[in-house]
Amino acid sequence: MILLPCPNCGPRDEGEFTYGGPQRQLPSLDGQSGTDDWLKALFHPQNPRGPMVELWYHASGCEAWIEVTRDTGTHEIIDVATNRLRDDKQ
Amino acid sequence: MGYSGFSLLKHAVTGNRRWPDVLAEPEMRASYDIVIIGGGGHGLATAHYLTSNHGITNVAVVEAGWIGGGNTARNTTIVRSDYLLNASFQLKHFALKLWSDLTQDLNFNVMYEPRGYVDLAHSDGELEHFTLRANAMQLRGADAAILTGDSLQQRVPELDLSGAKRFPVAGALVQEAGGVVRHDAVAWGFAQNAAAAGIHIFQNCPAISFDIDAGRIIAVTTPKGRIACKQVLISVAGSSSEVAQMAGVDLPLTTINVQALVTEPVKPALDTVVNYNAGLSYVSQTSKGEFVLGGATDGYASFARRGSFERIEDVLARAVQMFPFLSRLRLMRHWSGSADIPMDGNAIMGRTPIDGLMINAGWGYAGFKATPAVGWCMANLLATGDMPDLVAPFALERFANGAEQDDAGIGPYPWLH
Amino acid sequence: MTRLPKGGLINRDTRLDFTFNGRPMTGHPGDTLASALLANGQHLVARSIKYHRPRGILSNGLEEPCAMVTVTDQTGNTPNLKATEVMLRGGLHVTSQNNWPSVTHDAGSALQLGGRMLAAGFYYKTFKWPRDGWHKRYAGIIRRLAGHGQIDPSADNALYDKRHRHCDILVIGSGAAGLSAAQTAAHAGATTILIEQDHVLGGSLLFSRNQIAGELAADWANDAVEALQDLSNVTVMSRTLAFGQYDHGQILAVESMPADSNARAILWKIRARRILLASGATERPIVFPGNDRPGIMLGGAVRSYIRRFSVAPGTRAVVAVADPDEGEDTFAALKEAGIDVRAVLPPGAAITGTSGRLHLRSVGWRDPGGKRHRTACDLLCVSAGWMPNAHLFAQMETGLQFDGTTQSLLPPDTSGPLRPIGGARGILNTADCLTDGKAAAHQALAELEMHKHLNLPRPAATPAAPGFDSGTGKAFVDLQNDVTRDDVALAMREGYKDIELVKRYTTLGMGTDQGKTSWTNGVLEIATQSGRDPAEIGHTTYRPPYSPVTIGALIGTETGDEMVPIRHTPFHRAFERMGCVFQTSGDWLYARYFPRDDETMQDAVIRECNAVRNGLGCVDMSTLGKIDVQGPDALEFLSRLYCNNISTLKPGHVRYALMLREDGYVFDDGTVAQLGDDHFSVTATTANSAFVWRHMTKFAQVDWPELDVTLTDISDHWASLAIAGPHARDLLLALAPDFDCSRDGFPFARLREGFLGNDLPVRVVSVSFSGEPCFEINTPAGFAETLLERVTKHGAGWDITAYGLEALDMLRIEKGHLSIGTEIDGRRTADDLGLGAMVSQKKDFIGRTLLQRPALQASEREQLVGLTPEDGSSPIPHGAVLSDHPISGDGRACGCGHLTAAIHSPALGHPIALGFLTNGRVRTGDVLWAQSPVSGQSVRVRVGPVCAYDPKGERLHG
Repeated sequence: MILLPCPNCGPRDEGEFTYGGPQRQLPSLDGQSGTDDWLKALFHPQNPRGPMVELWYHASGCEAWIEVTRDTGTHEIIDVATNRLRDDKQ
Repeated sequence: MGYSGFSLLKHAVTGNRRWPDVLAEPEMRASYDIVIIGGGGHGLATAHYLTSNHGITNVAVVEAGWIGGGNTARNTTIVRSDYLLNASFQLKHFALKLWSDLTQDLNFNVMYEPRGYVDLAHSDGELEHFTLRANAMQLRGADAAILTGDSLQQRVPELDLSGAKRFPVAGALVQEAGGVVRHDAVAWGFAQNAAAAGIHIFQNCPAISFDIDAGRIIAVTTPKGRIACKQVLISVAGSSSEVAQMAGVDLPLTTINVQALVTEPVKPALDTVVNYNAGLSYVSQTSKGEFVLGGATDGYASFARRGSFERIEDVLARAVQMFPFLSRLRLMRHWSGSADIPMDGNAIMGRTPIDGLMINAGWGYAGFKATPAVGWCMANLLATGDMPDLVAPFALERFANGAEQDDAGIGPYPWLH
Repeated sequence: MTRLPKGGLINRDTRLDFTFNGRPMTGHPGDTLASALLANGQHLVARSIKYHRPRGILSNGLEEPCAMVTVTDQTGNTPNLKATEVMLRGGLHVTSQNNWPSVTHDAGSALQLGGRMLAAGFYYKTFKWPRDGWHKRYAGIIRRLAGHGQIDPSADNALYDKRHRHCDILVIGSGAAGLSAAQTAAHAGATTILIEQDHVLGGSLLFSRNQIAGELAADWANDAVEALQDLSNVTVMSRTLAFGQYDHGQILAVESMPADSNARAILWKIRARRILLASGATERPIVFPGNDRPGIMLGGAVRSYIRRFSVAPGTRAVVAVADPDEGEDTFAALKEAGIDVRAVLPPGAAITGTSGRLHLRSVGWRDPGGKRHRTACDLLCVSAGWMPNAHLFAQMETGLQFDGTTQSLLPPDTSGPLRPIGGARGILNTADCLTDGKAAAHQALAELEMHKHLNLPRPAATPAAPGFDSGTGKAFVDLQNDVTRDDVALAMREGYKDIELVKRYTTLGMGTDQGKTSWTNGVLEIATQSGRDPAEIGHTTYRPPYSPVTIGALIGTETGDEMVPIRHTPFHRAFERMGCVFQTSGDWLYARYFPRDDETMQDAVIRECNAVRNGLGCVDMSTLGKIDVQGPDALEFLSRLYCNNISTLKPGHVRYALMLREDGYVFDDGTVAQLGDDHFSVTATTANSAFVWRHMTKFAQVDWPELDVTLTDISDHWASLAIAGPHARDLLLALAPDFDCSRDGFPFARLREGFLGNDLPVRVVSVSFSGEPCFEINTPAGFAETLLERVTKHGAGWDITAYGLEALDMLRIEKGHLSIGTEIDGRRTADDLGLGAMVSQKKDFIGRTLLQRPALQASEREQLVGLTPEDGSSPIPHGAVLSDHPISGDGRACGCGHLTAAIHSPALGHPIALGFLTNGRVRTGDVLWAQSPVSGQSVRVRVGPVCAYDPKGERLHG
């Protein structure tokens, strides 16, 4: 069981979290984004053997979606953050 | 190869010192018509059917590790074809037909045992859905039955249907042709036949890069040399993204860890393959006596081939709901494999945007059962250039077209498949 | 009896009675089953798996490959236990494995005659004919020959548990290195856990004659443990096997509880900042012809049986121990036990063979000068050297490296949380182990900033002494799986050269002992036979558990109906009192139906449906997901999320809404209610509520942080009871709401907040799943029973009828309303479901773009339709496939769709069904076949509208 250092709650077992997949950049919803933009964002996530930014939802904790940079080859946690845009705003 | 009772006796007399090397490594040629990347079950089956169905032998199989060492060595050896979606069903159904004759076709005992695959439903609603699946299977020519109560108990006497259960069993779908096949033997049988026919198999020989000229594949580079070729098949479960990336092809999948486990071996105590559906747990007993169990994926991206013990605990808890006697047995070994899971949870087979570069990927944790059918069909595609009907629905373009083959209806979230 | 007159760590004051193959035997507390068997003169313990050769006791620990037994106590039979791992308890009945009719006269030993035919891989080469011969004939025979013990078919009633612990430094193993490390860590103030698999701490110190700090090693260990136990920052756990290392410093261990405990075992999940693996080393057997006979025993095991257990494991011994010091110590131990040492083999001697049918009688050997000897004996002490027990390290790290100096697989240096120390990294002498434990603990303390960095030097691994040669003949590399040197050679000759292939082709190291005694010898055999450096051979991956672990302990209390917690709605207890029959539905236990007297389910459900259609019913809707959405951008947020128009909603209004996945397929349906200008409450289906919540929070937090919106999951805050039927409004009025509930004041699709009877706070929503007038009354969950009491009391005049999931489903099928998992199965577009008109053409929303993909817009898609029997009355089979043609002679039919639901409609008085049909909507009036070969039913059905009952919706507004 991996140990995720939640920025709000501290190190917690993976069991408290729900996985949200690789980080994604959703196209804008202004009617301007085309099929290719969505296919790329949704259907072609990063899949590296190595560090990857991904989303975890701390369901049994602070209920925040956190961004975890994790090495998929070793499970080493390299970085963790709450959503940066949202943090900047607040 | 001439394996028979007589050959065993003959070689026994000579102290087994004259058995031939059936996997001797040949000199690598500068070019082959076809290079198959990946010496797992799928890649080796493709090699075998290229020779046996099409007479094509100018083929190299390059394997990064040892033959059959990837997901072929890491699965729970279950074969079945109990799918609702037609494309999923047809491919696995064809595979079942091939499984049933494979020992004779290869002259190598792959130990196909149609012990029956029993899929448990935990509510009347679920059983209604299973009934639909069973009806669809029968109408397509497969065996399927719905069993409840006493008839289910009679079919699987070991199954505990009594007492307080968290998720009671409402009934089951039973496919009698489903069962188990000895996984290692599949890789070895295909490899020996391909090698005997003149196909070259190279172990510890990863593909390092591709040469692509004007959108067409022309060569594969390996540590043992550059191989010029006309066609390449990528068949590298668990590393599909990395290898396809070398050709600039971006596959719509995420790689996720899947675990399996065995107990200590005991005398025969379970004759069927049984699947628990309220949280996945599939159980069978090997010919060696071990109970082999598996479950769902770990649910997050990983190439580590190492998982969370909680998944093992989940799988065992469900297995004990079905077979309380398992509680006394001991877990002997658990292991993991890397499953490439596409956005609809189904395989990706066929052409890529690079001419001559074919792909067979994304089998998730369902690839073993399809092995001979995949080999047969991919060999057909490589040999003739014609897209087999069984493969067409699994084309890479389906995601752009919206023709997903989502058996579970989960959507583009591979970690939930 | 071969029990020595004095000494040993056994309690001679208490006698424990047990039986072996029915023969009464005795032992003492402190004995293992193995030491007790030896004390009773029992050397032959089991037969081997393949050739049924007589086998005895090789070792004194978890590495034991041979002495496999089934143990029966008051809780039942446990197969496949190693006699060396079982603590002796009174009343045990022990039986040998792999023999019939008895371990002394085993018919299976005839298999040895076929020896060479049964070489590695033989079953791949034969049993191929006839075509189904393997399955029908051979597999059954092979399976009965394979496997070790028999399972006990009865349920396991023993208690197990799971617990967690955390610490700074975890020390695994309590020999010299472990105790030294634990002392160092503990004295620096680190929270320290010391775990030991054995029931006594001390490891090999327990049978060492070395002195530590002026004391006999065993006494020093005892004192050290007692001192550690006195410290408040130290936890000492014996009988606890650390079996696996997992990510981020997690060690799993299983504690075997003593006989007087009410539990059998506890699974410990220990999270440590640093782990010092002091698990010692396993002695390596020598591979030589006839190396498997009872009476051939590892040198260390012999010393342990003599000194710790006070047993003489033989009367006349030959010593073949590579390390000269250990050879001497073994000689000394044999002398202590009064055993006649007949020969001590010099370095470079070759062992050429052994004799003895059920017990060793003599050893043949050749001295370095070439002279042949045959020495009569009943005990042969063997040792080729030691193999570090670095499995827990190798489970996580890249692997071990073969080291020529020590002739063993050693763990490389690591910066990971787990550090092998002492014997686990090849250090074999006591003084060096003490030094290594201290140095490694200091290193860990420094890394944790709990002590200044001392940078103490680590001792080097102990070099191996020259070993012994072997004659030719049947020499076992893997004693448990009967893998011989010839098998390894054969595998390689046939092309299975990679160590992984050798392992799989021969089954080397794949037994229940996990190859602890065979693995390094296997590597050396492969190296010798292929003429390669053992360092090039590598090794296969080490997999947890280190030693087999009882499955019951891994499940703990998650058994029976307590496997997964059950969710109850706030009405559960009240429904129980009403005699409700519940159904498991996902995590929930949901009201299925409410039988009166001894009604059948069918009768109850028809009654419940009729009540809703003709009078008044009430149903629990509390399991729906409910999400509160607030903020200046709440409307924009919802507008992006749902595919239908939300922007025209007004406060107090409610709208049915459809949510698509990003890929354009329908995800979920529910209602959106507007409570205030910036305040909404939305529902999600029961099955999808957690998914919808995550879907929404992910968009809000991750994708659209610019939107000012706050989401709150209020699913569990509200109890929700829907009152439905022609008298629903009458009842609502009777409940004395403090808001206008007239037909005009509270029409369909509205939300009202207020109080019932001036004191019961409610949110009432006029929405309907059944097609009848309906008010969904939400009240804070704690008031659920009050609400139910009032609804029951005031509804009595209309004979209010509680209904459950079954009636709810019947009513919605009559109306053609959708259900998750059946119609909304994750593969449907809004148009497939007949809801194409809901999809807004005026705004962008999640799923819009990818919904435009060609296959989602194709003309040949399956569409939802209603179906009725052509003859008006034939029941429509569940789960039927729709086809245009009858089933052909070969039992096949080409499907053009399938049913999602089929019922006998109480309201219409005839069967109806819903289903998906290719191009279904243009096929209204067509007659098809509904085929259910599994139930032998085939019914002609006519395609009609999705909504079978009250298609214009007049009742709803009536």
